[in-house]
Amino acid sequence: MKKDFYVIALVCGTILAACFFCGCFGKEGELLVLEDSEASLEFFAMDTYMRVVAYGREDQANAAVSAAREEIYRLEKLLSTELETSEIYQVNAHGKGELSTDALSLLQRAVQLSEMTEGAFDFTVYPLMRAWGFMDGQYRVPSPSEILGLLGKTKVSGVLVDEEQGYVEFEADGMQIDLGGIAKGYAAARIMDIYREKGIANGLVSLGGNVQVLGTKPDGNLWRIGLQHPDGGKEYLGVLQAMDLAVVTSGGYERYFEQDGERYHHILDPSTGYPAESGLLSATVVSADGTLADGLSTAIFVMGKERAVAFWREHIAEFDMILYTQEEELYVTQGIVGDFSSSLLFEIISEEP
Amino acid sequence: MGIKKKDVLLAGSLLLAACLLFFVLRPKGDGGQIRITVDGKLYGTYALSGEEKIRIEQESGVNVIHIRDGAVWMEEADCPDGYCIRQGKMERRGQAIICLPHKLVVEVIGQEENENGEALDVVVQ
Repeated sequence: MKKDFYVIALVCGTILAACFFCGCFGKEGELLVLEDSEASLEFFAMDTYMRVVAYGREDQANAAVSAAREEIYRLEKLLSTELETSEIYQVNAHGKGELSTDALSLLQRAVQLSEMTEGAFDFTVYPLMRAWGFMDGQYRVPSPSEILGLLGKTKVSGVLVDEEQGYVEFEADGMQIDLGGIAKGYAAARIMDIYREKGIANGLVSLGGNVQVLGTKPDGNLWRIGLQHPDGGKEYLGVLQAMDLAVVTSGGYERYFEQDGERYHHILDPSTGYPAESGLLSATVVSADGTLADGLSTAIFVMGKERAVAFWREHIAEFDMILYTQEEELYVTQGIVGDFSSSLLFEIISEEP
Repeated sequence: MGIKKKDVLLAGSLLLAACLLFFVLRPKGDGGQIRITVDGKLYGTYALSGEEKIRIEQESGVNVIHIRDGAVWMEEADCPDGYCIRQGKMERRGQAIICLPHKLVVEVIGQEENENGEALDVVVQ
């Protein structure tokens, strides 16, 4: 039966050849039989569109993305400024109140970020955000005297936190806080923990401008993260390859309104009460710490390039950044240059001035 | 025991089958697709290469999505902020137009590749 053997060998060889040409093999040539299954969920929460993805054994991956969505809903109920039952809403309504462990630790993180950035990140800017109509879409330009009045209520030092008692009180009437500036970053970081607890080694979340990745892609390659160009869809600012990192962009190019020919975007400079005019069109922060990346992206946008570069040089170990200016200049800090590619020319910001 | 005519025929037909398999199974690189979801539920998928106007009416309002020349954009929307219209034209895999008030998402999916010839996993917007 030599002939049968010959035929079988031919069939096997043919299939093998077909597989080879079709790319059924992994990079190293191993046959990909045990491929991870992908679970993903898309939903609306925290006033934005969210997508959570996990790779692994099918039941584990499904459980992980469900738990991720539950965690976001839980944090939203805790931190929302619109929901009457949330702890933050109650504190804002009464000027004081108790906070649970999660809300308290996030508030402390916000205070710390504000100190670190010398006020460029400010979670007490909420009354001003409301006056401009950025919270409800009823846009208006407040009068200079109104802004001046509200600036008096914009001060992180006026938020008195009693860590032991889990209690917070505002120094002045009318002060209000919003932890939305780090809530999504915090949620993304929490989901990475949840993924690990559920036995997931590879995953990705995109929470409205906040991207965080766990591990590498299931095939072992780095995740490829595109950075949106402020001008819109045609072009990217660049592509960043990453593992175990959070990437957060802040820009004034999406949320804005126009009045009398002037454009007003939604990132307010806490020192002026007006939309930040720092010369930046977009600021992207890359860090292993999702909460930090979220808070810093807003702060860096407010700071502008000069101040941001000086700030980065003091915190090189904590984050990297990609800046795009009104002059259409692109800057990338040294730490991520090797993983960044762009069709645009860019300048490298190095450690030494 | 030499190679018979039948064997050659068999080898030839198997080679042909392999070629066919290759063409059937090879990764498709024929541009992207558009996926539209409303409140997390799939509304439909469309070829990015075609031309189509999709009008979606909901209780919350109306959106008109236009696909043409390999790009997709929000042509009309009666949402209060109009951000979805401002987001402009999208044509790359991973990009999305999001109309928050109407909970509507238009995503570019499929094999669309970037300038380095490699697809993106996600876009930070």
